[in-house]
Amino acid sequence: MSNANLFEPKIVAYVCNWCTYLGADLAGTTRLEYPANVRIIRLPCTGRIDFNLLVKAFEIGADAVLVSGCHPGDCHYTAGNYHARRRWMLFRDLLDTLGFDLRRIHFTWISAAEGRKWQEEITRITAETRELGPYRELYQKNGFTPVALPGPPQAASPDATSMATQEMKLRETAARLLTEGAVKVVIGYGAHGPVFIRRAEDAAKLVWNASCAANLTTYLKRKEIKRLGKAAVVVKGCDERGLVILEKESQVDRPNLHVIGLACAGMGEPRCAVCEVHQPRFANEVIGNAVEQAVDAKVASALDALMQLSPAERMSWWAQEFDRCVKCYACRQSCPLCYCERCIVDKNRPVAIETSATAKGNFAWHITRAFHLAGRCVGCGECSRACPVGIPLSLLNMTLSRAAQKHFGYKAGMDPNVEPLIGTYALTDKEEFIR
Amino acid sequence: MSEVLSKTALRGLGAEWLAQGKAVAGPVSVKPGVVLYAPLDSGEKLCLEGFIHPANSAKEFVFPRHERLCTYQIEGKRVELTNGGAEIRPQVLVGVRPCDAAAMPILDKVFNWDCADKLYNERRAATTIVTLTCKAHDEACFCTSVGLSPQAEQGSDVLLFDLGDEYEVRCLTEKGAALFKGKTQSSDRTAEPYAGPEPKFTPEFVKKFVNEQFTHPYWQEATLACLGCGTCAYTCPTCHCFDIVDEGNLRRGERVRNWDSCQFTQFTLHASGHNPRADQGARQRQRVLHKFSVYPEKFGEILCTGCGNCTRNCPEGLGMLTLLAGMEAVT
Repeated sequence: MSNANLFEPKIVAYVCNWCTYLGADLAGTTRLEYPANVRIIRLPCTGRIDFNLLVKAFEIGADAVLVSGCHPGDCHYTAGNYHARRRWMLFRDLLDTLGFDLRRIHFTWISAAEGRKWQEEITRITAETRELGPYRELYQKNGFTPVALPGPPQAASPDATSMATQEMKLRETAARLLTEGAVKVVIGYGAHGPVFIRRAEDAAKLVWNASCAANLTTYLKRKEIKRLGKAAVVVKGCDERGLVILEKESQVDRPNLHVIGLACAGMGEPRCAVCEVHQPRFANEVIGNAVEQAVDAKVASALDALMQLSPAERMSWWAQEFDRCVKCYACRQSCPLCYCERCIVDKNRPVAIETSATAKGNFAWHITRAFHLAGRCVGCGECSRACPVGIPLSLLNMTLSRAAQKHFGYKAGMDPNVEPLIGTYALTDKEEFIR
Repeated sequence: MSEVLSKTALRGLGAEWLAQGKAVAGPVSVKPGVVLYAPLDSGEKLCLEGFIHPANSAKEFVFPRHERLCTYQIEGKRVELTNGGAEIRPQVLVGVRPCDAAAMPILDKVFNWDCADKLYNERRAATTIVTLTCKAHDEACFCTSVGLSPQAEQGSDVLLFDLGDEYEVRCLTEKGAALFKGKTQSSDRTAEPYAGPEPKFTPEFVKKFVNEQFTHPYWQEATLACLGCGTCAYTCPTCHCFDIVDEGNLRRGERVRNWDSCQFTQFTLHASGHNPRADQGARQRQRVLHKFSVYPEKFGEILCTGCGNCTRNCPEGLGMLTLLAGMEAVT
């Protein structure tokens, strides 16, 4: 007798109350037999099944997870399953990048009348999982030697002469706005980090040079800055994409914000090599001119190199990276779009995300952080820049940006007229992964 | 006369300590531009040149960022508790900066204040610190401003001085001498002391300022750029705040101790919703107050060794030095 026969997989099924749970119930009342390996957890709707639950199931020993709900059009709450479908499309890609074994994650639509389908699906999933064996790779550093990913592509370096002219104009602009009383504070770059200019005579403290990579829109969420009064903020074309999202999410009162756009040829950052908005588009005033160059879509990136590895190797790679995480939350604090007053990780009654900087706590945190930015992240890379231990966090965000583009042709912060990706749905959303 | 050890021999010694079953940790280049104190599995990975200070501090080897205190299991009315501390092995920290080593005796005081912290003390007793003195500093360094120096002896068991192709070895304690006994050669080469950074402020001035100018608008003005992350505290060799949390469910779980930072909004948040440190200015002021006034008054030592990690690691260019340097300008 081989060992495989001794293994009984544990399968956790998150099912909706109205369709799949009743389907499973029907299977029981009609005496349909299926393997006893499934543990059913009944939740109101697939639209409310938090993606963290799936990860948690694996953490407590599940070998496979099933999410199942009403067929499209049948949702008891009209559209919960459409929302779920869209979210899971993105989430699957994130889990893939992190090296989760997607063969262990299943989605089905099973109605209250489909007792037989429930029987068939559970039988199939149990057989497949039995074949795969126990899920041992979760969060494991499998002894792979750390893989060095390729460095950032060479981005155009900024032109110092034209920047000096822009800097001069920027200082004039700031002084003018403050003298006129149009704004109370100008948020800009200083010689050693951000500066908050409140008097016209201090405008000379503003700089514009190759070190201005940071995204200053992150300060718009800080209450310490809000109480200074009406602000002007210095943005590059890329930073401005974040403003588009913040406005869409009612986080900035755009008429009450003065945006000083600075045309930018690139700051030599990895993201600059694939930048499509060198020229700010929605600013109140723009200083300088930049030419948009065609972006080479085939530019080799660290993410491509990572995706060349096997899932187990990817998980091992991330486990090694996350090993260094101390949970200082610099990634969250520096992000312009992480504006919740109380982050989910700070909720402690009950604890949703463990605060411990362990493999479990770190994976949970980084999955949550990345996914909360799905369809929102504009790729400014502040998370990676802020990380004191050099974890390339933006790779996770990049995964979700790519997924958004691949599945929905959506690019966060490019078009202010497009509805947010998460929170909306389309009847035509793909569902190849759902059985 | 002095005792010397070649640079290759030091790496060999690292391997020897590992073979003896000791845990060995030291600076490691984890990726281009990032050097961290990390556990070593061979002497070869030790990175001792080409950087000023690792991005983290050596405190995590005596005060880990996450530590299990006990596990619990509840059945009916019975509660079963088991000690949860991991096995504590003898460990050698090699290539530690003097500012990290000097933090150890400072931390000893707080972990033995109103109660002796068993896990901390056991780890500390099992640790031997081999310090590599500095030959360079950067803009963020300020050990000389807090009464230390690039060759400060506090907290170290052994001091190594870089002589180019070899190290001068000065054993300061018996624990240190035991590691190097019979491994060094006599030589007539001795290291010249390195002056380090010019003093940038006096701790007395900072203490006076934070106490007398507690309500000065400076605290708000100078900390506007602070985003409220915990990078400064978590990479600081002396910051030692922690949070004790229960992780698990109603039937079983564990009680753990995790690092915490006074820069987080939630650090002082009351259950009522009131927060005595309502803004980032108050939180930054607290950090200075604790380091330069509260701790010295209680324990007679400044809770800062001038390593500069807060300044180096701050995503927005703040940090203790930036903050302290600005004080002179407003008085």
